[in-house]
Amino acid sequence: MSAERTEGGGSGRTTDLVYFEDVRVGDTRRFGRYEVTREEIIEFARQFDPQSFHLDEAAAADGPFGGLIASGWHTGAMLIRMLNDHSIPLDATTGALGFDDLRWVKPVRPGDILSVETRVLEKTESRRRPEIGVVKVESRVMDQRGDLKMSLVSLVLYRRRP
Amino acid sequence: MKYWEDIEVGDTGQLGAYTVTEAEILAWAKKYDPQPFHLDREAAQRSIFGGLIASGWHTCAILMRLSVDHMQQERTAGVGSPGVDSCRWLKPVRPGDTLTARTEIIETWPSRSKPMGFIRRRAEVLNQHGEVVLTTVGVGMVKRRPHGEPPPPARRAETR
Repeated sequence: MSAERTEGGGSGRTTDLVYFEDVRVGDTRRFGRYEVTREEIIEFARQFDPQSFHLDEAAAADGPFGGLIASGWHTGAMLIRMLNDHSIPLDATTGALGFDDLRWVKPVRPGDILSVETRVLEKTESRRRPEIGVVKVESRVMDQRGDLKMSLVSLVLYRRRP
Repeated sequence: MKYWEDIEVGDTGQLGAYTVTEAEILAWAKKYDPQPFHLDREAAQRSIFGGLIASGWHTCAILMRLSVDHMQQERTAGVGSPGVDSCRWLKPVRPGDTLTARTEIIETWPSRSKPMGFIRRRAEVLNQHGEVVLTTVGVGMVKRRPHGEPPPPARRAETR
């Protein structure tokens, strides 16, 4: 992740962006360090996922997960933050169509330190929009022990080289 | 309580509403998804979206909030989710949009190892113009009715 950023663009673009043509199936990146706090788990849950096992430590202790765990959507949000900080600025992307096969494999708990591994699975030219292509990227969120917490396959829109 | 036994394929739900403010879009973007078209009004104007739009993950979180509110109204004994089969962001969500959702149960099956069952649910999130902005198909886990607890009156009459 050492590409230099151009000044003034404000978009975090690099001088040598990865376009659709540059993407290779099998390309892998590892990055990120996100420390999960109890406060952030509860704050997210209050706003978006107020179930007792995300919100209330005492209730969570007696709940199905034996303690407070992060909302799965919060883990998704932490993933997209790490992608923004380390991966998206390297690429000529313009958003995503969505994702498939999201699995919340293990609960995310306070004190966990998350990181990400991405791997390109497939790339397809768009017939309708010749200026872009769709790249299937698998993202795996791991914890400090290397245990898999969450995985999904994103459908990312890459621009074609001008 | 509403247990796994009380949920059937074909059951539908109407969720909402949730109005998305510009302040909330910006706050989410700043914390989790600081791409220019989510974070910066002027950059968003110049982007292919022609204005500020919510992060797709923010829209997913809003669907979760609508779903939890609905579960709590119905007193559904939900115990989390193993995942989401698919999610598509079909149209941008913009400041001031009011979102609702409609849901349908498309599959149910019992857990072999735990006193719970699974449900597969399709959800569509719509804006105030009736346009579908997000679709998901996800799986949820719901507790089985404990032994000896009678079913709710509405279901007791049915022969099942």
